[in-house]
Amino acid sequence: CHDDLDQFPTDPDSFTEQDVFANIDEAKGALAKLYASLALTGQQGPAGQGDISGIDEGASQYTRLLFYLNELTTDHSVVGWGDAGVPDLHNLTWSSSNDFTEAMYYRLGQEVSFCNSFISNATNLTDPEAQTFIAEARFLRAYAYYNLIDLYANVPLTTIVSTELPLQSDSSELFSFVESELLEIQDLLADSNEYGRVDKVAAWALLSRLYLNSESFTGVDKYAECVTFSNNVIGSSYAIHSNYDDLFLADNNSNGAQNEFIFTANFDGVQSTTYGGTTFLIHASIGGTMDPFASGVNGGWQGLRTTKALVNKFDSSVTARNGNGNPISWSDNRAMFYTDGQAFEITTIANTFTDGYAVTKFKNINSDGSGANDSSGEFADTDIPLIRLAEIYLNYAEAAVRGGGGDLNTAVSLVNQLRARAYGNNSGNISISDLSLDFILNERSRELYWEGFRRTDLIRFNQFTTGSYLWPFKGGASQGKSVEAYRDLFPLPTNVILINPNLEQNPGY
Amino acid sequence: QQTVTGKVSEEASNLPIPGVNIIVKGTTTGTATDFDGNYTLSVRNGDILEFSYLGYMSKDITYTGQGILNIKLMENASELDEVVVIGYGTVKKEDLTGAVDMVNADDFNEGPVLSPQQLISGKVAGVSVTSGGGAPGEGQNIIIRGQGSLSLERTPLYVIDGFPIDKGSVGGSRNPLNFINPNDIESMVVLKDASATAIYGSRAANGVILITTKKGKDTGFKFSLNSSTTISTPFNQVDVMSADQFSALINETGSAENIALLGNANTNWQDQIYTNAYGSDHSFSALGNAFGVPVRASIGYTDQDGILKNDNLSRTTGSLNIKPSLLDDHLKLDLNARGMYTENTFANRDAIGSAIDFDPTKPIYDANSKYGGYYSWIDPNTGNRPSLAPTNPVALIDLVDDTSEVRRLVANAKVDYNLHFFEDLTATVNIGIDKQNSHGRKLTSDLIPTADETWNGSKTSFTQEATNKLFDAYLTYQKEFEEVHNFTAVAGYSYQSFEFNNTSFDSEKEEDGLEFEFLDSSKSVLLSYFGRVNYSYNEKYLLTASLRADASSKLNPDDRWGYFPSVAAAWNIHKESFLENSALNELKLRVGYGEVGNVNGLNDYQFLTRYDGSQATAGYQFGNGYYQTYRPSPINENLRWEVGQTLNIGIDYAFLDRRISGSVNVYSKKTKDLISNSFIDPFTNFGNQIEANIGDMENKGIEFNLNLIPVRTEDFEWSLNYNIALNDNEITNLPDQQFVGGISGGTGNTVQTHIKGEAPFSFLVFEQVYDSNGRPIEGAYVDRNNDNVINEEDKYINHDPYADVIMGLSTNLSYKKWDLAVVTRANIGNYIYDNVASRAGTLNRAAENGILTNLHTDYYETGFQKFTDNGLLSDHYVKDASFFKIDNITLGYTLDQAFKNTTFRFYGSVQNVLIATDYDGLDPEVYGGIDNNFYPRPRTYVLGVNIDF
Repeated sequence: CHDDLDQFPTDPDSFTEQDVFANIDEAKGALAKLYASLALTGQQGPAGQGDISGIDEGASQYTRLLFYLNELTTDHSVVGWGDAGVPDLHNLTWSSSNDFTEAMYYRLGQEVSFCNSFISNATNLTDPEAQTFIAEARFLRAYAYYNLIDLYANVPLTTIVSTELPLQSDSSELFSFVESELLEIQDLLADSNEYGRVDKVAAWALLSRLYLNSESFTGVDKYAECVTFSNNVIGSSYAIHSNYDDLFLADNNSNGAQNEFIFTANFDGVQSTTYGGTTFLIHASIGGTMDPFASGVNGGWQGLRTTKALVNKFDSSVTARNGNGNPISWSDNRAMFYTDGQAFEITTIANTFTDGYAVTKFKNINSDGSGANDSSGEFADTDIPLIRLAEIYLNYAEAAVRGGGGDLNTAVSLVNQLRARAYGNNSGNISISDLSLDFILNERSRELYWEGFRRTDLIRFNQFTTGSYLWPFKGGASQGKSVEAYRDLFPLPTNVILINPNLEQNPGY
Repeated sequence: QQTVTGKVSEEASNLPIPGVNIIVKGTTTGTATDFDGNYTLSVRNGDILEFSYLGYMSKDITYTGQGILNIKLMENASELDEVVVIGYGTVKKEDLTGAVDMVNADDFNEGPVLSPQQLISGKVAGVSVTSGGGAPGEGQNIIIRGQGSLSLERTPLYVIDGFPIDKGSVGGSRNPLNFINPNDIESMVVLKDASATAIYGSRAANGVILITTKKGKDTGFKFSLNSSTTISTPFNQVDVMSADQFSALINETGSAENIALLGNANTNWQDQIYTNAYGSDHSFSALGNAFGVPVRASIGYTDQDGILKNDNLSRTTGSLNIKPSLLDDHLKLDLNARGMYTENTFANRDAIGSAIDFDPTKPIYDANSKYGGYYSWIDPNTGNRPSLAPTNPVALIDLVDDTSEVRRLVANAKVDYNLHFFEDLTATVNIGIDKQNSHGRKLTSDLIPTADETWNGSKTSFTQEATNKLFDAYLTYQKEFEEVHNFTAVAGYSYQSFEFNNTSFDSEKEEDGLEFEFLDSSKSVLLSYFGRVNYSYNEKYLLTASLRADASSKLNPDDRWGYFPSVAAAWNIHKESFLENSALNELKLRVGYGEVGNVNGLNDYQFLTRYDGSQATAGYQFGNGYYQTYRPSPINENLRWEVGQTLNIGIDYAFLDRRISGSVNVYSKKTKDLISNSFIDPFTNFGNQIEANIGDMENKGIEFNLNLIPVRTEDFEWSLNYNIALNDNEITNLPDQQFVGGISGGTGNTVQTHIKGEAPFSFLVFEQVYDSNGRPIEGAYVDRNNDNVINEEDKYINHDPYADVIMGLSTNLSYKKWDLAVVTRANIGNYIYDNVASRAGTLNRAAENGILTNLHTDYYETGFQKFTDNGLLSDHYVKDASFFKIDNITLGYTLDQAFKNTTFRFYGSVQNVLIATDYDGLDPEVYGGIDNNFYPRPRTYVLGVNIDF
């Protein structure tokens, strides 16, 4: 009977390594997990069997956390909820045990482990496609590390899964690792791939983003490399989609927007569900007198609004103002604000949805106006572009202005392509004299707001913690105030520091 | 010489006893009673007749010339000779060396008790029994000597007739012990310290409760019929505002828009969802000798409504015990089978919360409502229920149909073979199977008020199966040497397997669709060797030592064996010559040490690399297809046994003819290698937490138990049982702080923590600042770390939910044919976080999002305007919930010999008679300490009759 002690999983949904890496078709399910871990939260959508524990699943979904850490901390957004740790984000007062800074660390660290494990197992597959899979896994690991550098800087660098406690690395080492990985896999990735999976352009695009931030990550300026790889991307088959609205609609995987998407987090209201992702972005930004059906969902969570600082970025295109002189209509159609019953100025953030304009950028309806897949309107189909071509245009322009070479006329023309799409005509076009760094920062706001870039951009311009740029409730003060510079980085989770003595907390925390 | 005739019967039941030996003392003259208990014997005046029968107290009667001499024998009440089940054997109570409490059927709590755990509530020092709520047959939480683990099971092992049962119950079942009809239980024995429990090794970390059921007897047939009927009434409600109070509030504080939302009805929503509930309970048992074999059979039927409308449990139980003896009593069989069939209708408990929230100025029904005539808030933009509005509680009750059927069969066969040529040795084999299955379904009507435009009703259903198999084999050697050395040794082997298979289906339609299927199954095996030696010298000096080796399939092959030893010694001081002839009946000193393990509740296969496939709702899109994803699960190859080490010192005492008796125990239990969810470096594993052996904990306590018989005369007897237990629980080592105790209000908030130096599940809250009038100042908390920011780091530990002191006091009075029993309990130092007041007590929620929502009257105390998460976690909401409860008062009247050999007992009983507490929530006894959406415990009135014939 002693043999009976050796029990193996009886659950039909439980598999062994031999099952999962039996052949290339099964291994694709393991590859899918590496992508899914940036979109979903576990094995049972929308919640249940979570990948990380100790925090609400929906609230710890990757793109939602990216929004919390990189948008909610800035002039782009406030949220009315008082959940533990949430108000601290916009106030820039988070502690080292903030649930969201911890959860992001866990999710990204786990993604690295998922990728490491996949890479080592897939090496044994004989099918030639396995090499593409491995290159994609290396891309995803590099993407996770890019995020880790951006958010925490000083994290361990691991390429295999081992219970041995890893040593701490710094941004320069991590930067070199991400850079060399991306350079290596640019030739291993597919020339083009099916929707949802990355190809070599993604490696170039991430390199473009990495090099643009090199100076703020490591102190070493790599704008020239940024121009080079941006150029590679711009010369690829990806194209700016004609209609800005379409990029954030339920069918953005098929309405043409997909041609602009280099790397996405995919959602489906029935088969790929989460309380994070666009389900969060759409529900959470509905409240007041807004009709949730207009956004294709069944109700509002009365949370997210924006500050006047973002609205003011669209000042030059205001076409109408209300009785108080506040803007309510714009010719730049990227200004997707809901103003009816919403105060322009925020007096109270907590539980006061009507303070601050609402944002209607993301919707769960199809471009032809039809309903999305989840007929109940609970879960959104809308995919989130993690890298899209428009960003690379702006990366090129910025790197060029920062002295990375390239052609400023090309830069202007790239920016004008985005503005022409936004205005529907050339009325918003700029000339070379307008192309200042400040303009580019503001243009990134206009083009990319709520897509997870803002904190990184403000840091690159030295405006995130300093007094050189203030926005409502920055630092918790209604008019805004500067905060300590160490808040440019997030703290490592206290609990991880306690169990891994090799790690030192980021300075200031 | 004269002839005397007579009848020998049982004192308690008046039933004749066949086979009673009657001898004239000092002679060989004697006889025995016949089948009807009658005897005839030739005697002389002055002869002393001795009436004796196994299990009864012998009686000596001096013959004084009677023609008829009827004798009543009492069952052997000398507690010291009482035999106590201790696991793989029995021992005389006098020879016990561990902290063991036994409660016999006579002392059980009376009334219609659906859950066996309730039978001993308040009766045993250090044992706390808390129901999950007031629903019929609700699950019970038994905790022995405080919290023993952080993430594993904290409840004791139940062993029924030698069969350790699986505590995990299948879905749709309210309580895993409900399959036993309490009327079938003969006794419950609680093994508290590790020297007593170590023989159960890895399963006994939280104590053991041994349940012995009533067995067939070698007597004439006896029948017993019990019948009772009950009415349960709700008697307390959550303090929310009345319609008048709420209107006044809105009129005073609301905007014109808000005031316009007020209705003119006056609805107490809690009155609408709770109601009087009726129930009845019937059982019938027969025991006796059938065709030469002792047999007992019983059937029982219970039908009980809950006070939440639409709640019902109907249960049928059956049991059969056959105890044949063969080969001159060398081969004894004990065959048990027990079956249960339960039909549950579950009331929709969502109504409990929505009855608190729903605007009391709104009517229940609205003829114009598109939702089946039930009033609902309507979002003017959508024409549907606003997504943040509560749902009409009455609609929630009426429009959700949630039912299940649960079947369970537990059968075991125990065979004792006393070796023919070596009678000191007995071989025992015990084979058992426990099979449960359940089917359930929940239908939500398409008429239910919902924000979902395309709502078409829903149906979920499930099937669950669980099987637990047992095979035990052991040898018992018993021998007395030179009349003073008594020696018993047991050695054996045990195998147990636990399997479950669950399937569930979800559908977004009311008809039976199979749109989503979820599967879950698992199997674990426990394999053990055990041995125990009991030695006593001259009945004065007792020594017990045991060792159990357990291996669990849950642990990795290199480290799956755990060895759990124990040793205990006891000294029967009253047997020493210097105490002979004193008033002392018993004085025993006990010292015991033992180790027990725990992996119960640990998930299976955690040391294996395994991948979880995604369910249909969590696929990932590549191209135009959705792929099932495979996720590697967190691994811990180093999981070991959680080991508890208990030292127990106790004294048992009895004097004045045992009219005063009891025990004192002092214990210290250290748990090492506590398994808990431990944070891991995410770069080293999959996930951020694994179950790992990370902490240590210590439980210390004192228990005192006193049984008192102040009056004992022919007609009048009064007895009292008092017990008190002090327990202190502390986590002595934990590398990381853990946050537990999820609460409602906001998202993902927790109010409890495990942290080194504190009790497990301590409340972690902000320290509220109060003004000079003692009113809390909104938003003001003490900046405990003086950094001028109020954030998570300012939270502090404020009490824990578990009582420092628990007490029980029960009393029994019998006067002639009347009997009265009262059971009371008290807890001191148990705290509750009032989540109802905290989530529903701030003004802003009264009127927001275009709807009105009722408030908890705690608002009058605080005046809090805005809900914030810091406010939610204010220590204002952590409240002392010490209480005194009268659980039960029962008055009975016995009618002897109403017919030939028939005894009736009529009784009336009230349960949950009185609660005295400062806690102003619904009930001060909330297991886990977070009071929210609690199903109120009703007051229950019972009328019943027991008929024995």
